[in-house]
Amino acid sequence: MRIITKISFLLSLCIYVSCSDEFVNIEPQYSIDSENYFNVPEDYNQAVIAAYDLLQTTYLNAMLGEIASDNSLCGGESASDVPGFQQIDDMIHTPNNDNLQDLWDWMFSGVQRATYVIEFKDKIDFTGKDKLIAEAYFLRAYYNFELVKWFGPIPIKPNARFEVGDETSIPRSPVEEVYSYIEEDLLLSLESLPLDVLEKGRVSSGAAKSLLGKVYLYQNKFEFAANVLDEVIDSNVYGLEPNYGMIFENDGENGMGSVFEVQYTDLEGAGFDCFQCSEGNIAVGFNGIRQYNGPLFDSGFSFNVLTQSLVDAFEIGDIRKEVAVLDIEDWASKTGATYGTGYEHTGYFNRKYIARKGDSNIGDQNLTNPNNYRAIRYADVLLMAAEAHARKSSPDNLKSNSYLNMVRSRAFSDNISQISLSGEALVDAIFNERRVEFAGEGHRFFDLVRTGKAQDFIDGFVINKHEIFPVPLQEIQFSNGNWNQNQGY
Amino acid sequence: MKFIIQLLIFCSLGLCYSQANNFKGTIKDKSSNLPIPGANIVIVESNTGYITDFDGNFSFESSEKTVRVEISSIGYKTMTATINSSDSIVILLEESIEALDEVVVTGYGSQLKRDLTGSVSVLGSKQIDKIRPIKLEQALQGTVAGVNVSTQSGAPGAGINIRIRGISTNGDASPVAIIDGYQGDLSLLNPSDIESITVLKDAQAAIYGTIGANGVLLITTKQGRKDSPTKFTWESSLGVQTTSRKLPLLNAKEYGILLNESYTNDGRFPVISNVSELGEGYEWQDEVFKNAAIERHALTLSGGSISTKFSIGASSLKQQGIVGLDKSSFDRKTLRSNVGFDLSDKLKLNTSVIYTNIRRNSINDFGLGSVLFNAINMPPIYNAYDENNDFTLAPSNLGIEIINPLAQVSNTFNDYRLDKINGTIGLEYSPLEGLTFNSRIGFNAANSKSRNFSKLINYGGKVFDVTRSSVNQNRINNNDYSIDNFINYKFAINEQKVAVTIGSTLFKNYGDALFATGFDVPNNSWENADISLANGTSTEKTSGAYSYDQRRLSYFARFQYDFKNKIFFSGLMRRDASTKFGPQNRIGVFPSVTGGYILSEEQYFKKIDWINFLKIRASYGLLGSDKIGDFLYLSQLTGEGVYVFDNQLSFGRAIGVVPNSAVKWEASEQLDLGLDATFFNNNINVTFDYFQKTTNDLLIQNIPVSGILGVRAPGSGSPTVNAGEIFNEGYELMIKYSTSFGENFYLTSSINATTLNNRVTKVNNSVGFVEGGSFGVGQQAPSRMEVGFPIGYFYGYETDGIFQNRSEVISHPSQVALGAPAAPGDFRYKDLNEDGVIDDKDRTYIGDPIPDFTFGYNLNLNYKNIDFSLNAFASVGQEIVRNYERVQLNANKLDYYIERWRGEGTSNSVPRMTTRSTSNNVFSDFFVEDGSFLRLQTIQLGYSLPQSILGKIQLDQFRLFVTAENILTLTRYKGYDPSASSGAPIGSGIDNGFYPIPKTITAGVNIKF
Repeated sequence: MRIITKISFLLSLCIYVSCSDEFVNIEPQYSIDSENYFNVPEDYNQAVIAAYDLLQTTYLNAMLGEIASDNSLCGGESASDVPGFQQIDDMIHTPNNDNLQDLWDWMFSGVQRATYVIEFKDKIDFTGKDKLIAEAYFLRAYYNFELVKWFGPIPIKPNARFEVGDETSIPRSPVEEVYSYIEEDLLLSLESLPLDVLEKGRVSSGAAKSLLGKVYLYQNKFEFAANVLDEVIDSNVYGLEPNYGMIFENDGENGMGSVFEVQYTDLEGAGFDCFQCSEGNIAVGFNGIRQYNGPLFDSGFSFNVLTQSLVDAFEIGDIRKEVAVLDIEDWASKTGATYGTGYEHTGYFNRKYIARKGDSNIGDQNLTNPNNYRAIRYADVLLMAAEAHARKSSPDNLKSNSYLNMVRSRAFSDNISQISLSGEALVDAIFNERRVEFAGEGHRFFDLVRTGKAQDFIDGFVINKHEIFPVPLQEIQFSNGNWNQNQGY
Repeated sequence: MKFIIQLLIFCSLGLCYSQANNFKGTIKDKSSNLPIPGANIVIVESNTGYITDFDGNFSFESSEKTVRVEISSIGYKTMTATINSSDSIVILLEESIEALDEVVVTGYGSQLKRDLTGSVSVLGSKQIDKIRPIKLEQALQGTVAGVNVSTQSGAPGAGINIRIRGISTNGDASPVAIIDGYQGDLSLLNPSDIESITVLKDAQAAIYGTIGANGVLLITTKQGRKDSPTKFTWESSLGVQTTSRKLPLLNAKEYGILLNESYTNDGRFPVISNVSELGEGYEWQDEVFKNAAIERHALTLSGGSISTKFSIGASSLKQQGIVGLDKSSFDRKTLRSNVGFDLSDKLKLNTSVIYTNIRRNSINDFGLGSVLFNAINMPPIYNAYDENNDFTLAPSNLGIEIINPLAQVSNTFNDYRLDKINGTIGLEYSPLEGLTFNSRIGFNAANSKSRNFSKLINYGGKVFDVTRSSVNQNRINNNDYSIDNFINYKFAINEQKVAVTIGSTLFKNYGDALFATGFDVPNNSWENADISLANGTSTEKTSGAYSYDQRRLSYFARFQYDFKNKIFFSGLMRRDASTKFGPQNRIGVFPSVTGGYILSEEQYFKKIDWINFLKIRASYGLLGSDKIGDFLYLSQLTGEGVYVFDNQLSFGRAIGVVPNSAVKWEASEQLDLGLDATFFNNNINVTFDYFQKTTNDLLIQNIPVSGILGVRAPGSGSPTVNAGEIFNEGYELMIKYSTSFGENFYLTSSINATTLNNRVTKVNNSVGFVEGGSFGVGQQAPSRMEVGFPIGYFYGYETDGIFQNRSEVISHPSQVALGAPAAPGDFRYKDLNEDGVIDDKDRTYIGDPIPDFTFGYNLNLNYKNIDFSLNAFASVGQEIVRNYERVQLNANKLDYYIERWRGEGTSNSVPRMTTRSTSNNVFSDFFVEDGSFLRLQTIQLGYSLPQSILGKIQLDQFRLFVTAENILTLTRYKGYDPSASSGAPIGSGIDNGFYPIPKTITAGVNIKF
């Protein structure tokens, strides 16, 4: 009896003592959750594809970049159609804006997905891993660049995804820090991106360099911008598509002038309950001609209608005018097409990005247009390089003029249009060239802001307020005092 | 005690020399006439005491011829009597309804009932036997204040919901069951194996920490008793079950009239000819409801020697269903062995093992497409069988869901079997007086297998047509074990007593399951329905599996203080770590305090002789519930990531719903103020409680969070966060009364009542409410969890009579947004926000499924050899939604449609018949009914053979009894069963066609020897 007593007493003590909280720290069996993923190369590829997915939501950035500027008016069905757009057009937008909320949410989703891959970059090794990680770095830089352009200071977290609670503790980093973070990401991506991509739509080293050049240019780091953009030009990978009209047609997708292009397709249906799920270019349906019936084009919601000032900005003989501007009255009288008029009807439509016939029209057809968004064109690289060379401390006017003239010679069928300028005049010429070259492509507002000219061209623009947009009200509330609203809102 | 036995032995050896007057006799229980071993009989003058032996016999000598004795035994009223010297004295003791010296099992220990400071109710085996529950949960209905029990369905083996003190969560609100110290499942236990159930309702349960928030049920199985003779108890019964209700439907003639009116009201030709020749028609309900048998047997064997005690039990239950008979049946067999050993005078070993085997067949018994749904919607103009005695097909004009219910039952094939072993082995070591070391392990191991055959069948273009036969099988394995180690130490200093408990519990719950489907069963027959023979395959995935592993580690400490047996105080603390909680909140700490004061010990109260016992008590504590999903803090890769490369869709993988690494238990703050009293010589016993429970950190899905987390990515979503709060408060009152008239008539009766006020106080998601439940087809959710209302309240339109004519329609705001423009004969809905239009903003609170009051009543009468008991239950103030009517032109209807609107002034409550669509079927108060009911749950009459005959056949008891269960339900509710509920916190109280609880008449016999 006594032995049993002793043994049982010792046993119970043993059980008592050997318990520790490690007992409850376990991993679930047979579950692939986000923390035990990235076990084979295909896992990395799939995660990177998911990071690309959010690029398709930048249709919103492209639309608003025009609507906010002097290039277009909001349009739509009535004054209350998409109030968020209407207010931005009139420079009366507030922190309570659904579309700015969308932009914030979608771009941060992109950052989160790209960071997910980067977090696990060292888990396994295989050939081709570096290229995939480089794509993730590029994508993260792309999304962060959009965020800093639109909202100014933003929270950043380079090594890990954002977690619940970060909104109350991670501050909005000042713009300089955000830019330097973007530059780092792009430089890291350049270590492993290929010159030529295997699949159309993937990121190339040229795309990364061009984006880097743009990022330097926006910070007025002209020397750096000029250098990296020269590399792209000198690589001879890209060229200007001689037939300007081809660039924005379906057959001209991913052409010789395409440095980076956001891919869309009409193969999958989409609905109004999930814009971010759509594989089609939503801007194209929104920009389309209201109740259109006729050849070549399909209808849309008549948003983003071009202003007279943009139409008048084209010089005589500029072939780009008839590619960028659809004069609907003219077209209708020539072809017998019929159309309706929406709110703020100007008679001009963004011809580059309106719906065309020939796609599958899978439901909802206004949301599934397959037009790719030409995010960075070779012409942009040339004009940015021209600007950088013209504005750097010791300007290289030769290069600057030559790049500018390359773009102009495509636009004008003669040599009269060639330019030879310097100083302020050269910079102004480049500034004007950008407006007509990139009409309807979403760059105008930021070109105006970064050159300090916004208040001269945009009605209602208030200095030291409207350069950036307000952080969504909900985000300020979630941050619980950690984030302050942008000045003036 | 030993001393007294020795004295007895001495005396019987004749070593006491004095003028011997013999006093010999037996002490017996008054109501059952069974002898009471171990009872005390004390001669008052000399204070010498004796105890009865195994057979209840005592024997002593005295110099006096007449002595005054005091007789007492645990559970009985102490009695004083004057007895004369005789050889055959029989003394009958009455059961005490309030045994204050009863020992009550509390968490990790036990206490005397009089010393309890929490709100604790005890249900003993005698009370459980009077109710004769099939499943143990039924014993709690109407017997314990604050406990509400509802069935999920009347089908045999159906699940039962227990709710203690309201509904505290939008998640799982069921209490935890602790069986002999280990966490287990009470729904599979055999009720005749149970010695007692202790219900911990307030902060008394805090020693269970994160499993205590919904209350705790402590179940003790029969243990046997040391030093007692081996006793056999046998019970057999056979009963017949019928449905407790049939719905009043239209007969064939009424059906014809109303259907024709639907057409003629729209200016079309009637479709049924010769309506006047139609009579009653075919009664589908009569064909579907059958008389079903229920057969039960139970045998218990218990006893004990000086150092052992044992109780062995076996039982068998076979229950057929009132719908479907053997196709809806429940069989349960159990075998239990409890043995306790005293290994030495300091060391005890307790063992308990229970084996359970269950077999269940089921039919589609709930909602759209269930057998009863078809029976009430099939028009009475059709028969179930045709001339060849084959099943008829339901015509296609009835829509795609309604089919012949008898054919449906006949084509249902499935089988479910469960084998389970659960038990415990424990050691108790007491090296010193008052110090006990306890170490035990409890376990549950269960395996189930099920088989479901979808027979190739053509119902005539219905959704239940099966074009390819298949059989679905699964194996599920569930296990868990608990290891407890704790130390109890009791000591006393002068008039103060202190008891300290400290210990730990380890719990692991793990298991896995495998599912598979095979196609093309040979001969399309049930005999061949097995995957080994079904060789067909499918292009889709046909197999699946899951596994789980959950663990909890707990430490607890309790301090109890008792001053002069009248002031009590206790403090408890528990610390739990669980795998369910996110890494930020792995550990929860739950403290509580309780206190009590026995006023009746004070001098002032001792003078009031009609107050025998008066105690006031209070408790306050923090408890938790860990019945949340597993691994909510992990993120799964269920998001959508699709891009386009080379003009082709490319599919990636992305994170789905954002996880919440701070996910934690739902926390409950509980306050209780109570009073226990007995009056008039312990004949009246009153318990009164006021309780308040605030449960916060309720898990709510889709909580809006910052966009930086990526929640707006395709396929992603907002996390589930602890963000809700519910408040429950109420009063409980229990009054027990017992009395006897003379020697032969003995009565106890008790009533308990609970009031409940339930209110949601926080829902921190973006809209402020959570929707749930379903009504009709394609309609908005009818139930809500919203701040300021009871949980699961019904949210719909308010009707305001019926439009009697065209001008009334025109003068009222447009109702087009509800589905169709209004016409005379349609419901008029109230424009609650007065915006001139009737739309979904005109919805409001139209009822809720939570009762305002519940009552239970129990009565026991004994007269000589006859015993009678009655148990009734009432629930008042809850509403039920009528959702079992198929909105289909040709389906049958309830007979309240006879009062439909047929012209101006004919009805203001039931709308017109029509073939076109109307707004009359949107969710409004027309579909919300008062679900209050009073039900006689059990009535039992028994006759026991008298002692004289029993002595000759050498039995302790032979009793014949007849029981009627659920024979009367008083309610205004039109549906089958007002007590049924799905148990879901949001979405309960919606009747989709509940299988009604059966009415049962049973006859049986109890034998004890």
